Amino acid sequence: MLEVRNLSKTYSGDGQDFRALSDVDLKIGNGECVAIVGKSGSGKSTLMHVLACLDEPTEGSVMVDGSDISLLSERAKNTLRNEKFGFVFQQFFLNGRDTVFENVALPLRIRGADMAELRSGANTALGAVGLSDKINKKAKDLSGGEKQRVCIARALVGSPHVIFADEPTGNLDSINGSIVEDLLFDLNRDQGITVVIVTHDDDLAERCQRIIEMKDGRIVSERRGKNI
Amino acid sequence: MRLWDLIRLANRNLFRNKLRTSLTVAAIFVGSFTLTMTNGLGDGMRKYVESQVKNIESDRVIMVRRKIEKPAGGPKAGAPEEYKEMATDDEGESFDPNTFLLTVPQMDAAIRDLDGVKSITPRYQIKGEYITLDGQKKYKLELGVLSEGITQKTEAGRSINGPDQIVIPLGLARELAPNVESLIGKKVTVAYKSPDGSFRSLPLELVGVATKGFMTNYNSFVDAGTARKIHQDQRSGDGIDKFAGFTIQMASNDDGKIAAVKRALDAKGFEADTIADTQKRTYDAIGIFKIGMSLFALIALLAASFGIINTLVIAVLERTKEIGLQKALGMSRGRIFAIFSLESVLIGFWGALLGTIGGVIVGLTANRVLIAAYAESFEGFNLFAFTLPSMLSVFALVSAVAFFAGVMPAFRASRLNPIESLRYE
Repeated sequence: MLEVRNLSKTYSGDGQDFRALSDVDLKIGNGECVAIVGKSGSGKSTLMHVLACLDEPTEGSVMVDGSDISLLSERAKNTLRNEKFGFVFQQFFLNGRDTVFENVALPLRIRGADMAELRSGANTALGAVGLSDKINKKAKDLSGGEKQRVCIARALVGSPHVIFADEPTGNLDSINGSIVEDLLFDLNRDQGITVVIVTHDDDLAERCQRIIEMKDGRIVSERRGKNI
Repeated sequence: MRLWDLIRLANRNLFRNKLRTSLTVAAIFVGSFTLTMTNGLGDGMRKYVESQVKNIESDRVIMVRRKIEKPAGGPKAGAPEEYKEMATDDEGESFDPNTFLLTVPQMDAAIRDLDGVKSITPRYQIKGEYITLDGQKKYKLELGVLSEGITQKTEAGRSINGPDQIVIPLGLARELAPNVESLIGKKVTVAYKSPDGSFRSLPLELVGVATKGFMTNYNSFVDAGTARKIHQDQRSGDGIDKFAGFTIQMASNDDGKIAAVKRALDAKGFEADTIADTQKRTYDAIGIFKIGMSLFALIALLAASFGIINTLVIAVLERTKEIGLQKALGMSRGRIFAIFSLESVLIGFWGALLGTIGGVIVGLTANRVLIAAYAESFEGFNLFAFTLPSMLSVFALVSAVAFFAGVMPAFRASRLNPIESLRYE
């Protein structure tokens, strides 16, 4: 379970402060599917970064499964992200010269898994996104849709509790976009993985359970999505 | 992440940009190559000198000569020196402070109170003319004296151990008889000139054939008694009882007693060195020469290390997004630092490997060429010698230099903020 209380984040620079988050309270339960929406600059990405322990709040607390992460060491936060979180980004961040296998296995390598674990983990994750046959291809030779599915496999390989997806369909056409969306919702429904999606695509947001709308660093509304 | 994974990852990262990495490795190669060559040269010289001086050995001989007083602050080249009047030493013997020449009574006085001295041999100045085995051709004779207490290594026979004996060089022995063993125990005649120009000769027993070396390649050696006889026949008048120095044979190889004798002689105004002392000075000189040469290689290595820094700084910029992703996925700062440090050390490793291999190949080829050209004059001489410790030290040094070159870029990579890195354009 993810929970933030009285969360504020201020960026200071050039003599003036920018308040990216103001007094945000939010609870996300296990297995939920949450969309965070809002215009650019509304603070939705910053909220996701803080929730994902990639960024530290200026004020307030972040609880992951009941424990305050501000008390965790750098190393413990690294382990937390590696073992409990998966990430999908708009720009993929694949290593084009490496094989699909190397890209997908990266979180397990960071964890220190042996070769057998890397193999079985990558095979399972690629199977889940329907790209088992591309395992030995170079990542740069894949299409955009395939790349984002590889990214989902990479997010999935470490058996995460939560997948954070930052504009996962932002760089895809509508057909590939909906394949990626389906994959994310399937993972949420079938495996009980919590999915947090940051997007300004209303159609994507509508498919989530909860839609949280942000403006000027505050949560301005929350409503339920249409279906799951 | 496991160490082997890290090394493989680092190596793969490096060769993503083959040209840039190869050029940086090439710079390290030049440094390592030069270092290998200068080390090889120093070791080659040392080995050669070792093989040459080992032919004469003694653990109980001290070589002595009088110190000549120099003006304070050292002698100035070309500066006129004041002539000194005859002086009297502590023992009441008079001596000429302008030369280091010594008389036998002065030598006796010098060693009078010393503990453990068995005998002394003055440095006889003798000149031979020819040597002949009965009924055979005459050969030119270069004559030396084997001071009491010193032994020579021999190919055949043994070193001198009594009066009227001679050891001849290997080259001469082979001329006299193809089987040099057969010469041992034979009588030879040694001839020399007296001051009036007439020839005198001595019958000597050929007891040994010397192993090759600096002093034994051309010289035949006679015992001290024979040398005294020739000296007396060849010198006359004023110079007869003056010697350039002498050697002391100690009764044992007791280091404490040898050191005490050296100290006492030093206090009396003599320079006193054992064979080991002079050898050490030679090795020290070679060592300093080697270090001096290596400085040039180190400068090349230093220049190359800036190449490493440059390569890695660019690599960090190029891979900013990748570093951001790795950090987001839980890779620690230490691991990021380790990956870039390993890349740096690997550049050093490849450069050192190629440099060492290249240096050894060039050195060994040079040795073969030189042996083919100069085998006659420098038998057993290899310009370059390559030893494992030397090569390992090149590896260690280059790796260390490469590691330190990588510290700054690796540190920068490790401190990158993951979010900013992922946004980096």
